[in-house]
Amino acid sequence: MATLTVRDLTHGYEAARRVVDGVSFEVADGRVAALLGPSGSGKTTILRLIAGLERPEGGDVLLDSASVLGRPPHRRGVGLMFQELALFPHLDVRANIAFGLRMARWPRDRRERRVDELLALVGIEDLGARRVDALSGGERQRVGLARTLAPEPAVLLLDEPLGALDEARKRELRRELRSLLDRLQTTALLVSHDLRDAQALADDLVVLDAGRVLQAAPLRTVLAEPDSPEVASMVGWAPVVDGLARGGRIEEDGVGSVEATGGPSAGRVVAMAHPSTMSAVPPGSGDDSGAHGTVVGGRPDGPLHMLEVAVGAGASVRYVDLRWATPDVPPAPGGRVGIAVDGGTLRVYPR
Amino acid sequence: MIEPRGVSPRLRVAAAERATGTAAPSGGPRAWPWALPVLVLLAPLLLWPLATILWRGLAPEGVPDAAAIADVLGDGYYWERLVFTTAQAVASTAVALLVGLPAAYVFAHIRFPGRAAARALVTVPFVLPTLVVALAFQQLAGPDGLLNDALAWFGLGPVEVVGTIWAILAAHVFYNVSIVIRLVAGVWANLDPRTEEAARLLGAGRWATLREVTLPALAPAIASAAALVFVFSFTSFGVVLVLGGPGLDTLEVVIYRLAIRLVELPAAAVLSTVQIAATVAVLGAYSLLQRRTARPLAQRSERARPLRDTSWPERALALGVAVVLVLLIAAPLAALVHGAFTVGAEGGVTAANFARAFEDSRRLSFVEPVNAMRWSVTFAGGAALIAVVLGTLAATAIARSRGRLAALADGLLMAPLAVPAVVLGFGFLITFNRGAVDLRGSPWLIVIAHALIAYPFVLRAVLAVLRTLDPRLPEAARVLGASPIAVWRYVELPLAWRALLVGAGFAFVVSLGEFGATAVLQRREFATLPVAIYTSLGRPGLANLGQALAMATILMTVTAAALLLIERVRYRDIGEF
Repeated sequence: MATLTVRDLTHGYEAARRVVDGVSFEVADGRVAALLGPSGSGKTTILRLIAGLERPEGGDVLLDSASVLGRPPHRRGVGLMFQELALFPHLDVRANIAFGLRMARWPRDRRERRVDELLALVGIEDLGARRVDALSGGERQRVGLARTLAPEPAVLLLDEPLGALDEARKRELRRELRSLLDRLQTTALLVSHDLRDAQALADDLVVLDAGRVLQAAPLRTVLAEPDSPEVASMVGWAPVVDGLARGGRIEEDGVGSVEATGGPSAGRVVAMAHPSTMSAVPPGSGDDSGAHGTVVGGRPDGPLHMLEVAVGAGASVRYVDLRWATPDVPPAPGGRVGIAVDGGTLRVYPR
Repeated sequence: MIEPRGVSPRLRVAAAERATGTAAPSGGPRAWPWALPVLVLLAPLLLWPLATILWRGLAPEGVPDAAAIADVLGDGYYWERLVFTTAQAVASTAVALLVGLPAAYVFAHIRFPGRAAARALVTVPFVLPTLVVALAFQQLAGPDGLLNDALAWFGLGPVEVVGTIWAILAAHVFYNVSIVIRLVAGVWANLDPRTEEAARLLGAGRWATLREVTLPALAPAIASAAALVFVFSFTSFGVVLVLGGPGLDTLEVVIYRLAIRLVELPAAAVLSTVQIAATVAVLGAYSLLQRRTARPLAQRSERARPLRDTSWPERALALGVAVVLVLLIAAPLAALVHGAFTVGAEGGVTAANFARAFEDSRRLSFVEPVNAMRWSVTFAGGAALIAVVLGTLAATAIARSRGRLAALADGLLMAPLAVPAVVLGFGFLITFNRGAVDLRGSPWLIVIAHALIAYPFVLRAVLAVLRTLDPRLPEAARVLGASPIAVWRYVELPLAWRALLVGAGFAFVVSLGEFGATAVLQRREFATLPVAIYTSLGRPGLANLGQALAMATILMTVTAAALLLIERVRYRDIGEF
């Protein structure tokens, strides 16, 4: 168990194409952090830098405030579960899990006991003698996890731990992984492009784009108070009004205007909200925030009715799924609706 | 900043790496600890002899002397040998391609009865000892050969083939057709059929598709096959020594004649230098092309075209190829075996020749065959051992370097391939002959020469596997606490041991049949089987010929069996070599 600190980490062969560009964050002892970002944002490279598989051009990696940059990967005490798992094809399941213990020269009987323990921990007691190419996707994932956990790494790095699974399997493993991480109390850093994985597994969130950290904070903070429109849209927020701030209001052609709170009082701004705090209402009704959109589709969803609403026009058009909030008959495609936003949940960012 | 959609980070990183040529992860495993021991050995064992040759050639009197070189190159006799050597190599290459390309097509695409047997048949010639092949063609097409027997049966006059360029060409094609088939069929079978289908749908006919789409895709493979065939034919020794005649000497044979008599050493040195320059140039081009061919192989399509049952023109082609291959490959080998059992039997069949190959025959020949077999196996074992160690180290070094460094390491570590065998022996002869390294008459020189000649085979076999290894496996081992040596011991070695076995087998077989360097370095006391065969061949009488044929048959059987065994061990049928 250890605190992992990443300081000004930089990697890339040319300054113009930095894969990782001045990344800093900390994962406190026993916490689980998730690196969230689109493909190409440098997530996997950061894990490889921490594990020592690549050497950074600049910056430092510290475990309990001691730099580990000088240590080769096999002496860092860091466990990495590869996205592709990289199970050893010439070894069976037990031997795969025991590999790290063998390298650490654990005596045989202790090693065997530890392997049994791990097989049980990830729920594949009966697969020990199986060849790794005779495993299903979920089983492979479990072997990969057990192998990474076996030598008791101080920090656990998980690259897309639920990556290659189908949705049902993913949900099941996500729940198990969460309870496992809770029990182990290991410091862990996982990489995901899927917000749901991060939400289910992580205490803290580090949001990345193009090799830079956009926001690093506890999960709840990021979800409730995203720092920037980029982070906001990555955690699912949608722009309600994208226009000019003037006289305490924000206006956009074809959308309307909403009351601006907490943002700049002039210049180009964007007001965003999470779809769960928004709904569609008849235009001009009491809850109407002043922003309007055009219905392009609709479908019943249980007792609710969901509308797909186009907001704005031309290049800035965006589509938002909104709940039809009144018992009236929902408007047909082409109809206009007003957008209601729960009090205080609209955030205004400068453009 | 918005990322362009659909471009994966790995692709972009890879592209950046290609652009800068600095892909080596600086935190990754290092190449030089693996390359160092090999280079430390190659320097005195290869570079020193080569430097000695160069110095002897350029400065026969101790000071660089352009006139001495001009003398040799201006000499009409040597000039003619150079022209002949080049011309026969070009002709051999052309004919090998002419026969090999249709055969490659047939092997890549057509299902026909006896395909497996035919595949085995074409793999065998590759490593057969040159003397065995030369003797086989002599038995087939010599004055008393099966060919003339057959012609006489039809009432046709005897033809003189042995001692003409035709015998040499035939033997070279025998050897090299298998290289063409191997290199080209492998790529051809794995071409993505969709590109050809697309061409057809865009209005290209069969021939236009072949010309515009298929051949360009095969061009690197064809060119590398051609380069290899050219080098092997250019440096041909055993075949030419036995089957050639007046005026039909390759440079290699000329150097041999000068070297064993220890006369005109400066001339031998100049000719060696010319030869090395030529092989280095062609092999350099080859290795460039290999790097290009590696790409389509790596992107091997999952949807490679399945073998198909075919139309009658294709069946006719398959039949034609089969007939040519049987005549070219099976007939001479059959003639050899036939000769071994009939020579000296006056029309009957006899095992006496084989008995003679095992008895104490000091009276009949200079070299005792049983002793030669023992030495051959000893040398082959030692050479294979050294070759495996060197080849594995070198392959690991190349696999662990990237970009231009890898190309450099590859070229440097494959250098022994560019040194013709007789030249290598000659270099040893004039280098390790004084002071602290006076190894004149030492069997060690032969082991070392064989190891140097055989080790590129191990290197290629192991490298092919290391390159297909998922790079994440060693990384996973590293993160799990394995030191670089432990990674090699517990991950890379277990995954590559089959390739190691294949390489060791190749090295053993190559050493068994090696004749060029051995011919220069041999002594009667430790003559090898090929030397014994050559010695018997040079002595008069049917008994000696019969004994040579029997020994050649034994050598052929052992090497062919070893090769077929190797083929069973290797899991991929496409090697890099």
